[in-house]
Amino acid sequence: MKKVIGAVLVLLAIAALIFVYNDDFMYSQQIMKITKIETVSEQTSHNSLGLSEEHYTKKISGVICNGKNKGEQKEMMYEQTYSSVVTDRFRTGDKVIIDGTEIQLKRDFYIVLITYVFVILIYIVGSYKGLLSVASVIINSVVFYIGLKLYIGGLNLMFVCSIEVIVFAVLSLMLAGGVNKKTLSAVISVIISSIVMMALLLIVVKTTDYKGINFMELSFLTVPAEDIVLPELLIGSVGAVMDVAITIASSMSELIDKNKDISEKDLNKSAKEIGKDIMGTMSNVLFFTYLCAGLPVFVLAMRNGFLMRNYIASNFSLELARFLTGSIGIVITIPISAFVSIKILKRGAK
Amino acid sequence: MNIILAVILLLLMLYIDKKRGLKLFLSLGLNFVILIVIFYFTALGLNAIVCSLVGCFAVSCVMLFLVNGESIKTISSIKAIGIVLLILSVLIFTMTYISRIAGFGYESYEEINMFSYDVKIDFTDIAIAMILISLIGATVDSSIAISSALYEVHENNKELTRKELFISGMNIGKDILCTTTNTLMFAFLGDFMTLLIWFQNCDYTFLQAVNAKTFAAQIIRILFSAIGCIIVIPITAYITAGALKKTEKNIDAQTLS
Repeated sequence: MKKVIGAVLVLLAIAALIFVYNDDFMYSQQIMKITKIETVSEQTSHNSLGLSEEHYTKKISGVICNGKNKGEQKEMMYEQTYSSVVTDRFRTGDKVIIDGTEIQLKRDFYIVLITYVFVILIYIVGSYKGLLSVASVIINSVVFYIGLKLYIGGLNLMFVCSIEVIVFAVLSLMLAGGVNKKTLSAVISVIISSIVMMALLLIVVKTTDYKGINFMELSFLTVPAEDIVLPELLIGSVGAVMDVAITIASSMSELIDKNKDISEKDLNKSAKEIGKDIMGTMSNVLFFTYLCAGLPVFVLAMRNGFLMRNYIASNFSLELARFLTGSIGIVITIPISAFVSIKILKRGAK
Repeated sequence: MNIILAVILLLLMLYIDKKRGLKLFLSLGLNFVILIVIFYFTALGLNAIVCSLVGCFAVSCVMLFLVNGESIKTISSIKAIGIVLLILSVLIFTMTYISRIAGFGYESYEEINMFSYDVKIDFTDIAIAMILISLIGATVDSSIAISSALYEVHENNKELTRKELFISGMNIGKDILCTTTNTLMFAFLGDFMTLLIWFQNCDYTFLQAVNAKTFAAQIIRILFSAIGCIIVIPITAYITAGALKKTEKNIDAQTLS
């Protein structure tokens, strides 16, 4: 059975890749397949630090793949630099999207490719459970998207996200653990922990008024950054909080199953013992996931002669806040979920 | 504000366990320093991929040996992580090279328009380094979870063969996989929210959003983090099972002589 599903997945992957490679007709912009690239001119410029950078002006010729001009030849000029900070390096055989004078690589094929690599790997290692977690990711993304739509429709973002957290917790924990007391206590723990975490965060925000947080990287927003930050911190942490809650709830139920007479004090002690191990690794997951995002801007700033001392504080501030909030969420969930699971599971045991 | 948050975090960690909490907090601080050093050397113009690989290895050592101590578990984990990093760097290089997610998309122009773009450093390498650093936390997390669990299994049932140990490692891995994917996904969704709101406000069509560099770079980064934790599971299980059986043999040989 496992092999059959595996084969179906591989076939689906191949079909999807073939489709995405040939889906030019779905685009309203022109798609061009590059057949030839020539360097027209080359020049070197120097920046304020004396670094020399090569700029190339290139002429690309190609065939149009969609629309009413399909099959026609087209030529365009574009600029390429050594560093590729904002430019791309095209190669012959690439499909590009033409939007006025802007040329952009058609990336959908690569996204489908990496997604299928992920799905097939998770199936090989995790089999059905792996596929179930992919399903949970998809369902949660849909919920997330619906929430965004509601926000665009005029609802308060914080309100939308709070409701979403409850939906996320119920859906993913039920998918992972089924409908039982263990799941119930995990869901309740997630809700209480998120409330406590947000309350703590709100107190800190109110007393410090976001002092030291640089909203620069949210600058492309058309809405005030302050409205987005708190909901973002909440959503970013809820995954880790759920993870801790289900781990603690499972171990508590395991312990109660093994020994019905175990005292609440002993259970609390074991919960702390388990919590000790997970808080370390979990906070590290968040740490690197968030902080690496600062690398490109950091390099750009250093290469422009900005002082590192000034830069570290502002460049990492928002990412650090994300990491710290998430970690506080993780640690707070340990005692809360221990308390909730003991109350709920013990009552059932009696 | 971050300082206050950090103090709250430290107090909470100390509440859970004084010694472990303090160690953990210090190791996070040390990792932050290592991270800055990697960033700094990268900015100096050293090869970004080499810098990040060395850095990833250094932070794995901090997480494994400083927090968990030196043992069969951590030594097996570090070997597995080394192998995973090498395999992944090839995959990531290929993916970044073909999908050209280096540099910044239109969405970030406002953030960087005060800088000159003539920096003479290849941003393809920077993109690869970023993906490598982003996946190391999750990879170490699943690796240590597997090797510790396998150690416990072995302690409780010494009769198990190497193959049986490997299979039980894979079974434990399945549970870890689900929870880690969840943690990763929500961490990225939080990050994604701003971008998605921006897409909505600017009336991007679905196809425009999918092809945008900023979007593609984020998706590829999250999926590689997940792929890192997936492939570290069988590798750690294999190495740990081998190491546990080998030390057993050594001990047997010693007691016989």
